[in-house]
Amino acid sequence: MSELPTETPSVWEVSARLFERWRAGESEALDDLVRLLSPMLWQVVRASGLDHSAAEDVVQTTWLTLVRSGESIAEPRAVAGWLTTSARREAWRISKQSGRQQPVEDETIARRLPDAPAPELQVVLDDDNSRLWSCLGKLPERCQRLLRIVAAEARPDYSAIATELDMPVGSIGPTRGRCLDKLRRELATAGGF
Amino acid sequence: MVDQRTGEHNEQPDDATLLTAVAEVWQLVDPPPVDLVDGVLAAIAAEDLEFDLLILVSTDGALAGVRHSAPEESDAGAWMLEYEGRDLRIYVRLTRIEDRVRVDGWVVPVRTLSVQLKADGQDEPLQTEIDEFGRFEFPSATPGLSRLTFFDESDESARPRVTPPFWI
Repeated sequence: MSELPTETPSVWEVSARLFERWRAGESEALDDLVRLLSPMLWQVVRASGLDHSAAEDVVQTTWLTLVRSGESIAEPRAVAGWLTTSARREAWRISKQSGRQQPVEDETIARRLPDAPAPELQVVLDDDNSRLWSCLGKLPERCQRLLRIVAAEARPDYSAIATELDMPVGSIGPTRGRCLDKLRRELATAGGF
Repeated sequence: MVDQRTGEHNEQPDDATLLTAVAEVWQLVDPPPVDLVDGVLAAIAAEDLEFDLLILVSTDGALAGVRHSAPEESDAGAWMLEYEGRDLRIYVRLTRIEDRVRVDGWVVPVRTLSVQLKADGQDEPLQTEIDEFGRFEFPSATPGLSRLTFFDESDESARPRVTPPFWI
């Protein structure tokens, strides 16, 4: 699909190869797989609203589950999708348990997504990124989370995301499109991309 | 691209470009902790060497792994935890009876294992055996963040199976 981020297919391919090598008995391949995919899992898990330490736990649990049940994944190319789905499901379960999966109020959004990155974030964004960040912050909270998840992983399981964001199944495709359109409009208003 | 309403030329990024940019900005704003990968690798290494970590697959009436207050409705309350291992399933029931908590459970398929229950900071774990019906019981557990460990004494090569910590 032309909509998918261009670099992701290679991540899928590389992870499939590493996974196959690990299953063939090469334990270092698993280390490389962990290095390759953990940053993506982090984004997916954090999008569910978990704090740093809970998110780290979820990423860890996800990998341990893979180590324990890796034999059950028939198709190596499914490994990245399997990991992101497991991570999202576990993150959702944890945030539901701790009551963190509440509808997010405007002020919470404002705190999480300030117009400009808060000083404590200690990141310096260049002009383009800072404009994009500010535009993202103007989107509805669901759009922000959905785009973060969709951007981080290449092949989202739409029915699972729909459950998490409490949207009817089937509306995610168009919803993603609408969120992207909103972002485009914000960017145009802010002076282009 | 020409904007239909204004007629102006306006560069509109396509979905892929936009999503890539979104992924990049999140990566800058909320990068993974520097020790994320090391933590995962350490957990996998520990797992490989020492024990099989059981996975919590279901909870009923409980906030497993999260501190919770005692059930408010009465002095008595029960909640269930269900764990899955490589080759067995373990059901754990916690029942609050007045000021103590009883922990009992059963193992499917039935297997005679010895069981330890240890709370953080507790010196000596409580110990019991799984009976021929697959059941075990600790009549009065120590409150706190606890783990159950299952040992197969008939098979020295088998690694102990451990639950993730849960609150009693």
